[in-house]
Amino acid sequence: MNRGRDLSATALLGPATLFVAVSLFAPLAILLRYSLNGFVAETKTMVEAVTLANYTKFFTDPYYTSALVTTVEVATLVTVACLVLGFPLAYVVARTQSRFKHLLIIAIVLPLFVGNAVRAAGWMVVFGNKGFVNAGLIGLGLITRPFEIMFTEKAVIIGIIAVNLPFMVLSLQSVIEGIDRAVEEAAFSLGAPPATMFRRVLWPLALPGILAGTILTFILAMNAYATPYLLGGPLFKMMAPVIYNEFTQKANWPFGGAIAFILMSVTLGLTLIANLVIQRRVVR
Amino acid sequence: MGFMINRRTALGASLALAAFPTARAGRAADNKRIIVGTWGGDYSKLLAKNIETPILTPKGWECVHAAENAPPRKTKMLAEKALRRGTTDVQGLSANDMYEVNEQGLVEQLDYSKMANAKYLLAPMKYPYGIGHIYSGKVILYNPKLIQSAPTSFADTLDPKHGDKLGIIDIQYQYTMLAAGLASGGTMSNFDPGKERLIACKKAGARIYPSNEAFAQALKTEEIALGIMWKARAVQWQNAGINVQTVAAKEGVPMYVSGFVMPKNAPNKEGAYAWLDAMMAASAQEGFAVDMGYNPTVTNAQVPTDVQKRIGFNDEEKKRLVDLDYGYMAKNDTAFQDWWNKTFKG
Repeated sequence: MNRGRDLSATALLGPATLFVAVSLFAPLAILLRYSLNGFVAETKTMVEAVTLANYTKFFTDPYYTSALVTTVEVATLVTVACLVLGFPLAYVVARTQSRFKHLLIIAIVLPLFVGNAVRAAGWMVVFGNKGFVNAGLIGLGLITRPFEIMFTEKAVIIGIIAVNLPFMVLSLQSVIEGIDRAVEEAAFSLGAPPATMFRRVLWPLALPGILAGTILTFILAMNAYATPYLLGGPLFKMMAPVIYNEFTQKANWPFGGAIAFILMSVTLGLTLIANLVIQRRVVR
Repeated sequence: MGFMINRRTALGASLALAAFPTARAGRAADNKRIIVGTWGGDYSKLLAKNIETPILTPKGWECVHAAENAPPRKTKMLAEKALRRGTTDVQGLSANDMYEVNEQGLVEQLDYSKMANAKYLLAPMKYPYGIGHIYSGKVILYNPKLIQSAPTSFADTLDPKHGDKLGIIDIQYQYTMLAAGLASGGTMSNFDPGKERLIACKKAGARIYPSNEAFAQALKTEEIALGIMWKARAVQWQNAGINVQTVAAKEGVPMYVSGFVMPKNAPNKEGAYAWLDAMMAASAQEGFAVDMGYNPTVTNAQVPTDVQKRIGFNDEEKKRLVDLDYGYMAKNDTAFQDWWNKTFKG
């Protein structure tokens, strides 16, 4: 009987585990090995080696380190913006008694029905020099020369916020829904103004949702490809497009692999630090 | 009822899994399918319209397109190098990319005796490792409404005096560096003299666009007034109503050749030869000239006079057509990209 249960468990867990092992860890292991190889630029060929030269090159070349700094800055800014914009929205959705609540949730998820690249194409129409924003402002006589939005960091940040906001709102909304309304009312009945109630009651209780939302948003922003590529233009550089360029334009797999591992390590590292800091606060 | 894996089920599943690739391989060998690696969009549609539907389909061939830009397709070819059977039978690439994949040992050396139409192929389009399908030249594009006196040279065009009215295409870094080099006393084998000129243009406000299409859009909205591009593209854009004229630069007209290679591990080499032969058919080449504005690479193609006048080059301009130094470009491509990304754009 026990043997049968074990086999059932194996049969249930096996396929997914095997799939993840083969499709995630095997390519990662190959990529890690490649990242230690050499590269002959003249012939664009990889040569067998065991060297950390690719990692050294990344950290000693300001072009690449500045791409990493820009990526972390943009991801942080986007995460904070999503939290600030998403919390009130999540709170309203969580607390509403309306019978149209499900429509509100669908409205939040709706942007995710459209792919990143298609959405970026839409932003391009909005941000262009003769796009919706500039044409509107010029038409109203508010400006005479168009604002430079397209192919700037501003466009990328707006674009990524639009992509990531639903993830933040959904993470927060599910946790806020689980917080008993009575604890908020108890704070008010004890004389706490709304800001104090938020700081002392709602925020600490919502921390698990905040943690999940910020981690999800931060990871997505760190690895954003389509939005920075399409809205940032040729002069703006974030890590994912840089990695793609190394693999496809230069055929430099060893260096591309090294940058991919650096991006993954930095993302995981920063996520772990945030996790530890927030969890310590939860414990306190 | 518990879910149990018994010996018979496991054995059956293993046999089914083991048989799967063999069955697939068997099917691929038996059928008359040709897998064509190509750019998407118009190019892919026109391959079907001018080559496959009229010539190959009636002969029983089935053509399937693996459409992507060239860099990911080259990356895939490299990734499949060690495989006995690759996933494509022919691959469409620019002449410099064809040179590069040949240097990497990825492509078959062609046996021209297997293709009846090869006897009409222009000599410069006959590479040992690939065949030129279409060609055009890098020319100056300008909007006559915004630029009063037409530029005559790359030096006139890639000039800081144009400020933010000059457009540069990011993915055309090699040809832009080449044109700037020629404008500054460089040669087909030395682009370095043009670097200072490009930096001066960028400092003066030159706009850099990520793609050919973004550049066309900027010409259309008059965000920019001039730049450099293939003559064939200019013809397409004129057809689309963009107010743009072309000039063959004094310094020379660098040629752009787009062609096809056969990967060494192409699963259907017979099909690949049939496809390449059909590509050189006069009717297919004429169709491409009319539809896409590129020049035919075979001598027996009859292009209508009015089309020829727009897409081709006159005798004086033909003398200025210059082929690229593919060896120099391939050897220095990584260095070009580093300079372009870090110094020019950085």
